[in-house]
Amino acid sequence: MEAIVQYLLTGLSAGSVYGLIALGFYVMWSAAKAVNFTYGDVFMLGGVGTVVLMELGLPLPVAAATAIAGAAVVGAIVERVFVRPFNREANSIGWMLTTIAVGIMIESSTTATYGPLGRPLPTPLVEHPIRIGGSGIYPQELLLPVAAIAATFALEFFYKRTVLGRAMRAVSFNRVAAGLVGIDADRITLLAFAIAGGLGAFAGFLVAPVVQASASMGVIVGLKGFMVAIIAGIANARGVVIVGILYGVAEKLIEGFLSTAARDAIGFTLMILLLLLFPQGLFGRAEVRKV
Amino acid sequence: MSEAILSLSGVRVAYGRIEAVRGVDLTVGRGAFVGVIGSNGAGKTSLMRAISGVLRPAGGTISFDGADVTGQKSHQMVARGLAMVPEGRMVFADQSVRDNLVLGAYSRIGKDDAGIAADIDKVLGLFPRLSERIDQLAGTLSGGEQQMLAIARGLVSRPKLLVIDELSLGLAPKILDLLFPVLTALNKEGLSILLVEQMASYALAVTERTYVMENGRVILDGPSAQVAADPRVLDAYLGRRGAA
Repeated sequence: MEAIVQYLLTGLSAGSVYGLIALGFYVMWSAAKAVNFTYGDVFMLGGVGTVVLMELGLPLPVAAATAIAGAAVVGAIVERVFVRPFNREANSIGWMLTTIAVGIMIESSTTATYGPLGRPLPTPLVEHPIRIGGSGIYPQELLLPVAAIAATFALEFFYKRTVLGRAMRAVSFNRVAAGLVGIDADRITLLAFAIAGGLGAFAGFLVAPVVQASASMGVIVGLKGFMVAIIAGIANARGVVIVGILYGVAEKLIEGFLSTAARDAIGFTLMILLLLLFPQGLFGRAEVRKV
Repeated sequence: MSEAILSLSGVRVAYGRIEAVRGVDLTVGRGAFVGVIGSNGAGKTSLMRAISGVLRPAGGTISFDGADVTGQKSHQMVARGLAMVPEGRMVFADQSVRDNLVLGAYSRIGKDDAGIAADIDKVLGLFPRLSERIDQLAGTLSGGEQQMLAIARGLVSRPKLLVIDELSLGLAPKILDLLFPVLTALNKEGLSILLVEQMASYALAVTERTYVMENGRVILDGPSAQVAADPRVLDAYLGRRGAA
């Protein structure tokens, strides 16, 4: 029983990271109808960037804010330089190649300069675990689901209530029509990538104290976040976060009851089966459209 | 030239190596109501997409309201006072009718909300059916209502020229009898209109001047009454002598 509580708690925390990354993929996909495969590495920049800036003497909040802002700029640059020119036609897939390549470049240049090993990111929230029954969890880990839920609501508010958010939805729905009402669709897409970049780096910063900040911390997590977004149907914010959290919990249960080695094999198998059963994704919407 | 709101010279549009528009000259005078007719695939929609900045022309020049606007993007053209109602309407189906209308005035949101509200009231006066559906999702409207919304959304941007691509597409004659008088009234108030229409008889009846396109070129233009009497138009577009 205690073991199950432990798995649920750590699963909730790990799953929230997948959820946050999937949320970023959703934001970028909505605007550009392209997938930014550098995203796991942008996530990594949040953790690694904060560690590096703190080693340079900046206090934690300043270091984190700077790293997140830097990652937002990286997100924008990726859109402008590596996605937009390769996404001109409806069926373009050049962005796939360019973003995968740039992601590898970010990761390997980080390995070369920062080093291949993970480094701790000390925060007050990883000093003492909280005991819940016989299970223990760091407050930092509990911060992740809070952040995932807060980000979901913030994003929903942004899409529904703000002018920019509604413009982003208009671009997502129909780029041409958005242009015809005066929306600069390119600018909105750039902004979407910057927001996603900041969000991903925020997740990387939050999880780094738990997993250590390393150059490769985003590779598998980024892939899983993408997978979660696909399974959820990349259609709404809540859906991707819910699937992310569920996937994290499922992973921890598999890890606990079977083995760590079985985790990814069974986890990915589960995802493939779900995709077979729900080709539109679990929350993929039937388009509201009448012709 | 300054009396023309829009003038095209030698405009070409190409998709890769395929030329859809092969050098078109066209002028819309200020306050004029001009039609473009032609069969499917004649290049009408490509031409409108070039005019509204959705596509970059492969050649030629476009001037609008006294300025060279060749190669400007659609959001820039909207800012200059050109509104296009695109083929297929393209309403934002996942947003309410009201939100669609507000987005029509995108550049003024937050700066002139009172003006936007007044403009929306005005367009709802033109299309009372939209006010009944104001809080519905645009995707739930009928085709005719969506066309009304698309026109209304264009008008909220306070255009100097309204371009309408295929007004009649998929709409019942009853709806068209509702829509055309609104356009005529707007034109009488001083709005310049460029109407692309496959249903030639409708376009020739309401416009002052008509261009006939075929294979990416203008093959005939002049006062609509004169164009309507041209044997080529009678044959091909008005269904005389049994032609479709």
